[in-house]
Amino acid sequence: MTYTVGIDIGSGAVKTVLFNDNQWLAKRVERIRRRDPMELARQGFDEVRQEKNLAEKDISYIATTGEGENVKFATGHFYSMTTHARGGVFLNPEARAVVDIGALNGRAIYIDERGKVLSYKMTSQCASGSGQFLENIARYLGTAVEEIGPLSRTSKNPEKVSSICAVLAETDVINMVSRGIATPDILKGIHISMASRLVKLLKVTGITKGTVLLTGGLALDVGLLAALQEELVNEKISGLTATSHPDSIYAGAIGAALWGAYRHNKLRELQARIAA
Amino acid sequence: MKCFIGIDLGSTTTKAVVMDERRTVLGRGITNSRSNYDTAAAIAKQEALLAARFVLFRKELEKGRALNGGLEAFIGQLERDFRLEQYLEQLADLAQVCERNVKFGDASSAVSAALRTLFTELQGQAAALFAPGARRKSDFFRDIAGAQYLALGERVAKDAGVRYDQLLNVFDRSIIEVENRVYDASIKTHLLAALERTYRALPDTLRHKERISAPIQAVLDTEMAEAYVVGTGYGRARLPFSKEHIRSEILCHGLGAHVMYPNTATVLDIGGQDTKAIQIDQQGIVESFQMNDRCAAGCGRYLGYIADEMNMGLHELGPLAMKATKNVRINSTCTVFAGAELRDRLALGEKREDIMAGLHRAIILRAMSILARSGGIRNEFTFTGGVAKNEAAVKSLTGLVRDNYGEMTLNINPDSIYTGALGAATFAWRAVMEEGRSIEHKEKVAA
Repeated sequence: MTYTVGIDIGSGAVKTVLFNDNQWLAKRVERIRRRDPMELARQGFDEVRQEKNLAEKDISYIATTGEGENVKFATGHFYSMTTHARGGVFLNPEARAVVDIGALNGRAIYIDERGKVLSYKMTSQCASGSGQFLENIARYLGTAVEEIGPLSRTSKNPEKVSSICAVLAETDVINMVSRGIATPDILKGIHISMASRLVKLLKVTGITKGTVLLTGGLALDVGLLAALQEELVNEKISGLTATSHPDSIYAGAIGAALWGAYRHNKLRELQARIAA
Repeated sequence: MKCFIGIDLGSTTTKAVVMDERRTVLGRGITNSRSNYDTAAAIAKQEALLAARFVLFRKELEKGRALNGGLEAFIGQLERDFRLEQYLEQLADLAQVCERNVKFGDASSAVSAALRTLFTELQGQAAALFAPGARRKSDFFRDIAGAQYLALGERVAKDAGVRYDQLLNVFDRSIIEVENRVYDASIKTHLLAALERTYRALPDTLRHKERISAPIQAVLDTEMAEAYVVGTGYGRARLPFSKEHIRSEILCHGLGAHVMYPNTATVLDIGGQDTKAIQIDQQGIVESFQMNDRCAAGCGRYLGYIADEMNMGLHELGPLAMKATKNVRINSTCTVFAGAELRDRLALGEKREDIMAGLHRAIILRAMSILARSGGIRNEFTFTGGVAKNEAAVKSLTGLVRDNYGEMTLNINPDSIYTGALGAATFAWRAVMEEGRSIEHKEKVAA
């Protein structure tokens, strides 16, 4: 029995999970909203532990990932590429690629059946097409974040959007609204633009067939998933199928917890061998 | 008299400049662009023409000498009285629209009653807003009326037993309709009513009533004929003009800077949504340009976003950055990432003023690279746009220019926000005076 906790500190939210070997016991997600991520990590850790009546000393390994290098009470830190890959395979054993869209970054990771990273590609420098970007747009349109996906699915004439700056999106959206374009068409246009960026990332990794698992905060956006599926067809990458998972947002934290257990067991083996 | 008008339809504000036959700038007008470009263009033009009338009043009254020594006070009072008249009309309009927008079922009659109380109070306070020395944060009706409405609404709602957010809801639904109305017809009546108010406020001037009113009436009766209009800016494609009347903002900015400073060779414009570096020749004609487009990093919006992140006003950033004692390097390009970096650095204990100075430097560094791509900086160098008002940005720019290009004459005009409109007005003047064109409207072209 090895209890491990995985903590994934993103730029938008802190995700925490509790595992007993390969068994998932508890989960927490907390939006940061200008609070201190380190305190939220502590809070998440205490909550998942207390939910299963475990003391701090019962936890064999506390693994952080994402921007969690500086969590004081952690046992070790894992790179987010490896944790998302591992978490992706845990959620969907068929997954051969993980597409993760966080609040600020997007990335595509090409993996094998054991969750080993074969190659990856990440957006950088620009927040266009990120989670924060979509959230800004939703705010200007007066749409709740949960409504984005379903609304986008009803679009008949998606408005073509070239990649737009996350900050200038406000005026772009005002312009579209003033031209009389319906909200679903704006949202769908944005989803298509985001999807085409993600497909480009996927292409660079070299993957040609298998299941692509969407992870991160936007994984539950059915509009984005649909746009991604359509974009794969348009780009004639028919070997890939895009899918999501209800717990996709925890992928990084899950991976961290699993890698934590692996490292813990390795260390124990090593110590046993030295002792013997 | 013949007027030549330039309109610069920006993403945040719309500017207009009116020029006479001798190319003297008579008036400037500005309004917020809203979501309706036609209205914004009409109102900016109306404001500029109005400012032009005031310039003419002053000139005529000076000639008549009826107000020896009291001219400035009189004109100032007249202007405030005029704004008051205008405000009262819009307020009455808003009251009506609000009344129509009350749709809360059973609560409606209570909300309506609260609205009537609120508007009576708003009307009562109007005069104080335009009293001598009264400070207003903005001259746009939406901002003035909005601030008052919010301030008084809370108490009125409580007294009347209605929900504050119901009052806010009515305001939000009504203000767009009111601010999109052009009160063109009432300018003259407002001016005459304002004149009466001014006589009451300055009773000494009544002795010369005839000698004051006559020239003002004469100016009012002078038709300010639009000889030619040229539109430019972000929204120029949506102006109701034929394409003969539209110039690119690069051309207008280049020419505008040349008109302000005839020795200008390089122009840097940092506006709300884009940054332009323009090289012009001695006639103000564009030789080359570079711009950063559709990315907030490096334009004014970058500072706006940072101000929001810091919960500060945009105008407070510059002064704060001026207090910096240390160089902080901002590594992020993207505005959103810079916002995240700002929070990280604050968490690491860096001082706010030092980070602010770093952010100002970052935006100017972006501008420097755009300038370099456009062909570098040549003497004289003119800096325009909203960011030219920010002292910390100017300080960064001055230092970087000196380090990279040596000593230069840096021109910054307090009216630099009108540069594009000034260029457009100059194009309008040239079209008529040098090319002999006359105005043509889109409708006419279509027919």
